[in-house]
Amino acid sequence: MQLEVINLRVVFNKAMILNDINLSLNKGELVGLVGPNGAGKSTALKAISGLIAWRKKVSKGIIGGDITIDGLIVFNGERIDEMPAHKIVSNGLVLCPERRKPFREMTVLDNLLAGAFLERKKVKIKENLDIVYQLFPKLKSRTRQISGTLSGGEQQMLGIGRALMSQPRLLCIDEPSIGLAPIVRAEVFEKIMEINKRGISILLVEQEISTVFKMTSRNYVISSGQIITEGTSEKLLNDNVIRKTYLGM
Amino acid sequence: MSILVYLRRLFVTIKEEIIILPTKVITILFILFLLVLPVILPDSYLMRVLILAAIFAMLTASWDFLSGFAGQLNFGHALFFGVGAYSSALFNLLLKIPPAGSIPLSGLVAVLAGLIIGFPCLRLKGIYLALTTIAFPIILTGVVNALPGITGGELGLSGLDKLTGSRIGDYYIVTLLMLGSCTVMYKLTQSNVGIIFHAIREDEVSLKVSGINTTKYKLLAFCLSGLFAGIAGGVYAHFMRIAGPSTLSVSTSFTIIIYAVFGGVCTIYGSVAAVYILFPLMEVFQLLPQFRTLFFAAIVLIILLYMPSGFIQWIIDKIEKTCSRCGHKNHALRKICRFCERPFKYY
Amino acid sequence: MVVDIIISTLINGSIYSILAIGFSLVFGVARIINIAHTAFYMLAAFCIYAGTNSFGLHPVLAMGAAIIFVTILGLASYKLIIEKIRVHPAATIIATIALAMIFQEIMILNFGAEFLSVPVLVEGFTVVFGVKITYQQVFTFIFMVILLISVWFLLMKTKLGLAIRATAQDRETANLMGMNESMIALVTIGISVGFAGFAGAIVIPLTVIHPHMWLSPLIIMMAVVVLGGLGSIKGSIIGAFIMGLTEAIIVFLLPMGSFLKGSVALTILIIVLIIKPEGLFGVSIEGE
Repeated sequence: MQLEVINLRVVFNKAMILNDINLSLNKGELVGLVGPNGAGKSTALKAISGLIAWRKKVSKGIIGGDITIDGLIVFNGERIDEMPAHKIVSNGLVLCPERRKPFREMTVLDNLLAGAFLERKKVKIKENLDIVYQLFPKLKSRTRQISGTLSGGEQQMLGIGRALMSQPRLLCIDEPSIGLAPIVRAEVFEKIMEINKRGISILLVEQEISTVFKMTSRNYVISSGQIITEGTSEKLLNDNVIRKTYLGM
Repeated sequence: MSILVYLRRLFVTIKEEIIILPTKVITILFILFLLVLPVILPDSYLMRVLILAAIFAMLTASWDFLSGFAGQLNFGHALFFGVGAYSSALFNLLLKIPPAGSIPLSGLVAVLAGLIIGFPCLRLKGIYLALTTIAFPIILTGVVNALPGITGGELGLSGLDKLTGSRIGDYYIVTLLMLGSCTVMYKLTQSNVGIIFHAIREDEVSLKVSGINTTKYKLLAFCLSGLFAGIAGGVYAHFMRIAGPSTLSVSTSFTIIIYAVFGGVCTIYGSVAAVYILFPLMEVFQLLPQFRTLFFAAIVLIILLYMPSGFIQWIIDKIEKTCSRCGHKNHALRKICRFCERPFKYY
Repeated sequence: MVVDIIISTLINGSIYSILAIGFSLVFGVARIINIAHTAFYMLAAFCIYAGTNSFGLHPVLAMGAAIIFVTILGLASYKLIIEKIRVHPAATIIATIALAMIFQEIMILNFGAEFLSVPVLVEGFTVVFGVKITYQQVFTFIFMVILLISVWFLLMKTKLGLAIRATAQDRETANLMGMNESMIALVTIGISVGFAGFAGAIVIPLTVIHPHMWLSPLIIMMAVVVLGGLGSIKGSIIGAFIMGLTEAIIVFLLPMGSFLKGSVALTILIIVLIIKPEGLFGVSIEGE
């Protein structure tokens, strides 16, 4: 078991966003986390990667009210729920955030190098850079471009590439298809499969269920902060209630 | 007959709305105290301190109106004050207009100043705006110093007409003016215009999309704030009988901001209360003049560390609580809300 | 005349750019509008005065001590005061104003409100086109250029610089890259205050020291930051030299020049902003 989340609970100002979530992920798996808008998918990823705890520390309960986090998150046999976000990254759990969030005023290369912040060996950085460029050849031709001026698809690739520079063992990707044209989405999903084949486990949050279910080995369906069910894509699609109620297909 | 109805209504309002809420009781008592004080204690020095406090309260409230409510962070509010002071001095000295005319006129000149600085500031936001507004009073200071023939240079213009003949007369005029203008500002912030100001601060783009001409409202905020600050400046000039470059100084702007934050931004009443607390306190430190500013800064720092949302707001939070269901205010000792009877839980 | 203007521009411009870069770094990384920034510059000057006069230190030693002392003081005031109220932007501004006032008052209490001066480090002068240029001026300018280059190198070529730039743009995402955001904020503040102290230390032999000497550079520094575009280092440097040049021209050419220098410089700032609200080199990227 590479990642295990036990009874994760996140409360924003008395509103329960995540209600005792349990999920787990084996090494090398590609697991989907699907559900309707506002189900708590992104919050779950943010809680796992330590961003919620960071926000709690920074806002001190003054901006956006109180935040409570509860539960156990174990990654590679180590508890990470009390670790600061930047330490979690060094353990190999990397989040590629929603809406890709590139450092908009920096060049593509600087963005990628920012991803490699924790790696000290220059050779290793060069190696990883080559891997990313090989995966996303488009980025290579835009090395010196300011990333804010890239197109949406290129920004998404930059986001994933930047996350890869951090040498993840588990990569969490939050809604990679958001705001992208169908043809670009297909390309992004293809790349995600390719990354998975390199032995990096992936936890994928998506709304585009039809594509995701073709890729993933297992899926969790989340709604109103609770895990409704889990299982392989076929099993979920064969269950009429689940399919109609939560997947809308 | 109808008088009785009004009296009854007044009585009911007092009983139902005012006595119940400690903040309202304190406000009423404070106003009564201000009005009665000269009768009980006609001390000339005390009057002087309170008159200056009233002037600065007006000025600080006008800053809060512009920067707190409309979100147009103004670091150079002394501009309006200085423009008011200088223009009423010039009206009075050159055109021989008495204070009753020169003070309103100075308010109008400050409105003009508001329009002039509002125009370039319309396109700026946040810190850019804050750092730009700081420039305006300094530009004007330079002009004032460069034209000693008209403005008196570094010494300023002196020998203005007195506000009224007597200290008590001055006191009542200034205090009533302060109460009136702060009430107007407070009521404005509670009105529809106030809602639009709030919205400009929170999200201007959404407001524009909703079909509201934000430019107009931003200019309105600059003008109204300028009007009250200009009047404060005019009154100050006539009371001190001098209009000097110190009215335009950076430290005047900073002091106003300190008062407002001390009281709690975005409240109007907070600014007024803060000035009436801090200004007399500063006078106490006058005994040790070399430590005065040091004490002032230290107090502000300590207050900020422990009550970052402002001293007045901190006190209000202690004596009042808001029902989380119906949003009505209750005094802190109540167990259930006085409107919807929802119990206040303690977590 | 022309040489005078050039010298004055170069020296003032380089001081303003060092101050402006430090100020905008702290704003970028920690979102703190540090009004006390130039107060640290003033403190460094007083430290050197005290070091050389009261303790009899060698000027160079005093300079080093002053820079270290000011940096530590800056870090301490961040840790003890600013960090606790950083969530409230308004309170942070007031706190830095209050800090600046406290420093100013303590200096008045200790040294009085008189004008003081310290001896120059390098004696002697040379004459260029009939204008006297002291070696101290040349020395100051060279040091400032070295400092500017090292700032640029630090930000653009080192890992720390990359982290600072990344944090300045998006604190949350910087965390996801493994950057310790609060540590980087602390380091940035140290660097920024250290540079302010350095600028103060280098420049005081050319000027007079008094407790209010932080106000006018503060205003010009803020103008430079806005003029060049917040967060743009190139913008800060060019903006600083524009401001320095304007000031120099006004002082040397207009009769009431020294009164008007700030006014004209700031008027230029406002004109630029009316035309280009994000400053000369600010990147206008719509937020999400």
